Amino acid sequence: MTFTGIESLTLPLAVLALLLMVFLADLLVPAPSDGRQSDAQRGLGALTCVGLVGVILLSWWMPQGGLAFGGAYVQDAFATYLQRVLLAAAALGALGSIDHVDRNFPSRQGEYYLMLLFSLLGMVVLAGARELVLIIVAFELMGIPLYVLAAMQKRAAGGVEGSLKLYLTGAVSSAVTLYGMSFIYGVTGTTNLTAIAARLSLGDDQGPLLVLGLLLSLAGMGFKIGVVPFHMWVPDTYQGSPTPFVAFLSVAPKAAGFGVLVRLFVEGLGAMRDTWWPIVLVLCVATMVVGNLFALSQRNVKRLLAWSGVAHIGLMLLAFGIATVQGIGVLIFYLTAYVFTNMGAFFIVDVVGQDGSDDLDAWQGLARRSPALGGAMLIFLLSLGGIPFVAGFWAKFLLFWAAWQAGMGLLVLLGALLAVLALFYYLKVARSMFIEGTDGPAPRVALPTALAITIALLGVIGIGVYPQPFVDAALAAAAGLLGG
Amino acid sequence: MTSTTSSADASPPPIFPLHADHLVLNLALIALLLPLACFVLLALVWPLRRAGRLAGWLSATVAVISFGASARLLMLVVGGEAPLTETVGWLVRDGKVIASMGVHIDGISASMLAVVTLVAACVQVYSLGYMAEDSLPAQGRYFTYHSLFITAMGGLVLAPNLLQLFAGWELVGLCSYLLIGFYWAKPSAGQAAVKAFWVTKFADMGLIVGLLALYGATGTFAWDAHLVGIWATAVPALLFMGVMGKSAQVPLHIWLPDAMEGPTPVSALLHAATMVAAGVYLIVRAYPLFELAPSLLLAMTWIGASTALIAAATAIVQDDIKKVLAYSTCSQLGYMIAALGSGQIMGGYFHLTTHAFFKSLLFLGAGAAIHAVHSNDIHDMGGLWKTTRISALLFITGSLALVGVPIFAGFFSKDLILEEMLEAGQYVPVAMLVLGAGLTAFYMTRVIVIAYFGDAAEGAEHAHEAPWTMLLPMGALGLLAVGAGFGGDLLATLWGQQYHFGMTPIGITTSVIGLGGIALGIMRYGTSTWTADLLGGLRGFILSGPVDRFWDSAWRQGLLPFAQVVGWFDRYIVDGLINMVAWLFIFLADRIKRFQTGRAQDYVFAVVLGVVAFIAYGMVGA
Repeated sequence: MTFTGIESLTLPLAVLALLLMVFLADLLVPAPSDGRQSDAQRGLGALTCVGLVGVILLSWWMPQGGLAFGGAYVQDAFATYLQRVLLAAAALGALGSIDHVDRNFPSRQGEYYLMLLFSLLGMVVLAGARELVLIIVAFELMGIPLYVLAAMQKRAAGGVEGSLKLYLTGAVSSAVTLYGMSFIYGVTGTTNLTAIAARLSLGDDQGPLLVLGLLLSLAGMGFKIGVVPFHMWVPDTYQGSPTPFVAFLSVAPKAAGFGVLVRLFVEGLGAMRDTWWPIVLVLCVATMVVGNLFALSQRNVKRLLAWSGVAHIGLMLLAFGIATVQGIGVLIFYLTAYVFTNMGAFFIVDVVGQDGSDDLDAWQGLARRSPALGGAMLIFLLSLGGIPFVAGFWAKFLLFWAAWQAGMGLLVLLGALLAVLALFYYLKVARSMFIEGTDGPAPRVALPTALAITIALLGVIGIGVYPQPFVDAALAAAAGLLGG
Repeated sequence: MTSTTSSADASPPPIFPLHADHLVLNLALIALLLPLACFVLLALVWPLRRAGRLAGWLSATVAVISFGASARLLMLVVGGEAPLTETVGWLVRDGKVIASMGVHIDGISASMLAVVTLVAACVQVYSLGYMAEDSLPAQGRYFTYHSLFITAMGGLVLAPNLLQLFAGWELVGLCSYLLIGFYWAKPSAGQAAVKAFWVTKFADMGLIVGLLALYGATGTFAWDAHLVGIWATAVPALLFMGVMGKSAQVPLHIWLPDAMEGPTPVSALLHAATMVAAGVYLIVRAYPLFELAPSLLLAMTWIGASTALIAAATAIVQDDIKKVLAYSTCSQLGYMIAALGSGQIMGGYFHLTTHAFFKSLLFLGAGAAIHAVHSNDIHDMGGLWKTTRISALLFITGSLALVGVPIFAGFFSKDLILEEMLEAGQYVPVAMLVLGAGLTAFYMTRVIVIAYFGDAAEGAEHAHEAPWTMLLPMGALGLLAVGAGFGGDLLATLWGQQYHFGMTPIGITTSVIGLGGIALGIMRYGTSTWTADLLGGLRGFILSGPVDRFWDSAWRQGLLPFAQVVGWFDRYIVDGLINMVAWLFIFLADRIKRFQTGRAQDYVFAVVLGVVAFIAYGMVGA
């Protein structure tokens, strides 16, 4: 394999370089004795965050449209858009983690950020991967550090448990995916998605083995993004993991997973949409319904947001299933809005839960104890619920719009009904913050966390008030992929 | 309608043109954006917000200026300024505007904006007095929400298309949620806030789907879009579902009485004068769409008339003065919806404006009474005529306007509705509305007689008159409750219609029935010496022999059981059904919780099961 087109690998290489820098810095920074906090260790988080911002800026400067590894990796507009979203999520995640990591495992800070960057590297490659083997490798590179990160709170109740559940279901899913892809390779004789698409466009050999391969891969991917019935790890893992990591976990792997879904099922197996659409439809409806129903009775805010996340995945699955330029464009716009909204919400969960309780009772009167936090959380909740002037409104609106254009009126109706149901549990949190409880001291907010919440808030309001550039970019990226 | 909607322009719209010499546009923007600036200021500058009083004065001043701008705007529009639409592309795709925002100024929106800002300014000034006893940070929060509300409502009213109207619609819903739950120490306030938001959101589901269907069918969110086929009925029907929630039509009216948990000025502004009327305003605005669905219009007439009658009957048996007024608001909104259903937009809109004045006056008056005796129960009041003469007079003025006594505002608009509906041949709905008018007279008389002329309850003997900050805005609204009825000509000019008022048989009938309701109310509840003096002779005659027995049996066997049955049905069946749906979901959620066992092997099992199902589908289905 020659290294032609190395300039197309700018982004993965930049992440790798940053990773090595953090690795070296971690070696050079003296580990504090008896597990106390130190400024030098804190600096690792800042380094990660600043470095990632640099990489994001780099993405505007690097060459576009090139191929690497003989066509296995492509730096097209879709990949670039998705990578920006992923990098932004990671940068925001690192910023929001600084205080939490420093408080809870001060002597293992380097480990935390390294794992974050390893996982990110896998995701960044995944966004541009157009070959089955590279997809598998990148998938594992993304997944394995997540298992480690989920278990960072070794001694906390549920910490290891959540990680183990993530790992066990993840291992089964990976095996299933690999098995499925082996069928696809066996039938088409190639692992390159472009070649597979070309083979399918000839119109023959859509035999049962190919269908089997397609379905198994879909099942495996379903796990990564948390689709019902492969979703059961989600609430347990969220509950047991460090909250700023959950903020990252709840958005970035989903974005990468949807990226692969689009590559594999729209770019590669797009000709077989008639085969996979009925299954995706069932999964989508099941995910929306189950996610919303389970969220209804939760009193733990982390679990509530976990289930609400499952419901949102169902909506995004709908956008994916539309599989037109509009559908895919809306999908990645939805992901963008979701990154800011969900991460911001989880950062506030981290702030409120720093005394140890994620229960709804800990949220009582937050709006009076700290109007800034209460107001910010209300805006995140409204964005999750899809109320105008915040990012989530446009995400939902454009999704329903695209679905309506695609003739899926009944699904829009179901989505609208469930959106009402969802407001019920989002309002439960808002009610605790605004209408219940007593006055008391405001929770402590560290500067990096405050900064992360502010950025998320600006993102949510910015997209809500002026969605144009984001929608344009998303639709352009989708058009580049589908040639529309 | 002479709207010049340009939201569907093919060319990319210009950046908002802030012409220095364009007075109409600048006035609209002042009315709209000044409260927004005030909201942002209060939301961000927390020392100012926590200062409370200062925030209140600032917010009230802004509201007054906002009203001044809209009043000047209305004068310009009356003076013949052409309708104006300025939009800026919100979301543009390939040169095609998907969503735009901006302002649309014509007779309808300018007059509605003036009504909204006038009532808002009155209510804000009133709140300075009413909320004075609350803590300073609480006052700051209150006025922050209020400023947001004015902007949101203004954005709704001036919307150049249905999408922006929807955005404003959701924001006023949010303000309503926050303000209903304002007294957070009361658990019932929280429940009421959630209920209000949830019921209206449920209805909004129809609105969202209707908007999408409208866009899908026509490619715009314009309210004068041309719909054909099934969409001509489906789209307005879906929009109407949203209206039923917001404007509290049976059976989605159940949130409004509960919403009275909020501070009384909030009830006056949001839940009587402006926000709940947004649904009616939507129909007026989007009438070109509704016009295409005759069957829906017929249904609207019946729903409106039923709401008018049922809510009026329910109001009779309420002891909470605010609940009486809340049911009364449902009832009056029913009149408007019924009028719109019969094609009488001018009548419906006229009633919207007069109702905004006299109903907010009534709420502010009720607030003064509550302020004086610290209770909502009319039986805890009593004798307020002696102690709080001015606010009592104003409350009675508002009641006369509501009942529709000639020369008071409500008389003209109600008369116009009934007259037009009669001409349209809607005999049964008209009969229901006339009966509703009688009930209205009865329940208002009941409240006045018990709360103002009844024997003073304990604690009510030493009630104090409200401060000037409360009386002044009530006085302003009082003038309008008397005089707004003469604004029919002005309104007709704005609509480009003819309006001649004349005493008609239906007007006389309604007035007589209204007076009958008042008389019945006085006789039934008037036990004090005052009524005996006033009606001594008359009462002596009526209460003698057969007349008395007739009234007595009419009351005992007719009205009271009817009101009780309707009230019971409302409380337990309609409310119960909605509660049951909510409970069912929670029950379901609790049940399915057991699938989430927490055991990793079960999770893996679920994955395997899913894979097996996939394979089964692949083998059988494909």
